[in-house]
Amino acid sequence: MSRNVLRLENITMQFGGVVAINDLSMRIDEGEIVALIGPNGAGKTTAFNCITGVYEPTNGAVYFNDKVIAASHPAGKMKRMYAGSDPEKFAGMHVTMTPDHITRLGIARTFQNIRLFKSQTAFENVLIATHLRRKSNIFTAMFRLNWQEEKRNRERAMELLDIVGLKDMAGEKATSLPYGMQRRLEIARALATEPSLLLLDEPAAGMNPQETLELGAFIQQIKKDFNLTVFVIEHHMDLVMGISDRIYVIEFGKQIAEGTPAEIQNNQAVIDAYLGGNDE
Amino acid sequence: MKKMSKTRLIVCLAAVLLIYVGAWFAEKSAGTNSMLVTVLKKGAVYALIAVSMNLLNGFTGLFSLGQAGFMLVGAYVYAVFTIPLKRHAAVYQYYNGGIIQFELPLLVALILAGLVAAGLAALVGLPVLRLKSDYLAIATLGFAEIIRAVVQWDSLGPVTNGSNLLKTYPTFSSTKILGSTVLFPFIVSGVCIGLILLIINSTYGRAFKAIRDDEVAAEAMGINLFHHKELAFVISCFFAGIGGALLAMFQGTVQANSFKSAMTYDILLMVVIGGMGSVSGSVIASFLYIACSEWWLRFLDNEQFIGSFQVPLLRSGFRMVVFSIVIMVVVLFFRRGIMGDRELWNLRLPKKKKGKEGLK
Repeated sequence: MSRNVLRLENITMQFGGVVAINDLSMRIDEGEIVALIGPNGAGKTTAFNCITGVYEPTNGAVYFNDKVIAASHPAGKMKRMYAGSDPEKFAGMHVTMTPDHITRLGIARTFQNIRLFKSQTAFENVLIATHLRRKSNIFTAMFRLNWQEEKRNRERAMELLDIVGLKDMAGEKATSLPYGMQRRLEIARALATEPSLLLLDEPAAGMNPQETLELGAFIQQIKKDFNLTVFVIEHHMDLVMGISDRIYVIEFGKQIAEGTPAEIQNNQAVIDAYLGGNDE
Repeated sequence: MKKMSKTRLIVCLAAVLLIYVGAWFAEKSAGTNSMLVTVLKKGAVYALIAVSMNLLNGFTGLFSLGQAGFMLVGAYVYAVFTIPLKRHAAVYQYYNGGIIQFELPLLVALILAGLVAAGLAALVGLPVLRLKSDYLAIATLGFAEIIRAVVQWDSLGPVTNGSNLLKTYPTFSSTKILGSTVLFPFIVSGVCIGLILLIINSTYGRAFKAIRDDEVAAEAMGINLFHHKELAFVISCFFAGIGGALLAMFQGTVQANSFKSAMTYDILLMVVIGGMGSVSGSVIASFLYIACSEWWLRFLDNEQFIGSFQVPLLRSGFRMVVFSIVIMVVVLFFRRGIMGDRELWNLRLPKKKKGKEGLK
């Protein structure tokens, strides 16, 4: 059995009275492409935000390469509000890492609603993401004593742009690129942080079927080339069924199914969730 | 930032040199006490301060209004440590000659002014930089006012001379280079702005701009927000401190009361008029601003007669009215300032007009 890269244990995320994720547990093994699907508002992006440190989960723990990257346990009377969770399991655990720390450990992500650095060119967008692996400090950077590193980073940024097919547009402003290109640029930027786990939040949103098909092949390609594990949120079922090794389905923050694409396609709970079976 | 071509760099350096020669020549022909030279000197000082503020507000996206406070610290550190020993009795007449019984060389004091301001900024930044946008502005503004009050505190009198003037320290007229008083401020602020440019174009500068554009994405790309904000704040205040020291040299006397928040607004205006995120814009704007407020609009303050007809409205203070209207027009119709976020040396070649103002 291959090694766990990412493990979520009993993650609950609560915003006031709204339970966005309820007792979610999942694991992702090395080298897998795992998809997270579910109807709108099911809590998929919230799950991503818990993994990357944007949110601090109300309860539960996230492990990356068997190291805790987020863990918390609500104290006092709040405990009772977490319906599904084991109240004692995470007692005394409290770890909150900032997103930049988690990225440095090797988790990179893209965003559902594209978040590029708007005033910068495509090239600079990728170059910025090489900043976190710097060995220079402010003084060596200021007097260009880090020119070797700088040169290497520039070459690497150009390479990555080439891989995502944006080499000719390196000097264009990020916001002037077509939508599909912006998505690809986000992936290039995420790859520049040298991740081992790549989180893609709806990479095919707004793409036509042809582009979606190409994207699927592209994701498999970079997975192989960069030795990645990929965790993807997606709505395009063709893409999900085509590329993923396993699929998790969540609805209203709760996991309703887990399995291979074939298993998921025949799962009654999933069909109900998507077609609204229980309404009758 | 695109890599600048070699020729372009040489042209820029030549243009800067040309400006220095021009400034030197201006002083030689117009005389040291002429309005032109005053404007050049004050413009050079404010150029540095405006660029240091732009580093924070324009490049890192931190809306800070504490600049006057850090300038005050720089000005005081410079003045306190450079007053000649034999003048201490006269300056600190109410405090038995003060307690600082040594003086530092001018350049050492200048750098110390920056370091003390930077050190203070590092402390202030710890709590304050966790705030966002308007709240940060309010907190830094408040801090600047607190510094102003503390410096005037009577118990600190033996060091700061309380609310009395600090004077008789070396000024621009005692730092003549090639027989010219204008070169010293030009060289100091030129070097400092050059250093700021180097930072902006380094990997750290790119990180600052990333934070300005999108904090969430910057953090997801592994940029530690707090660390980089603190860094930008400290660097900005270091140069604000040096700028304050230069201002002290320009004025010849220092008093805490003159570093009011209105001074910060002046600098903010220069930054906005020049363009948030443009170093050359800030430099051009500060020279224009100083020239307008000190010189070109002065005539509005005096009653003017055309024949026996007295021009209406012209009287003392009217200059500020016109000035305010000009600023409103700029803010309404040229919202991105003179340069936007471009730099003079990155403009396309057809619009070649380098060396018009001090660009470095």
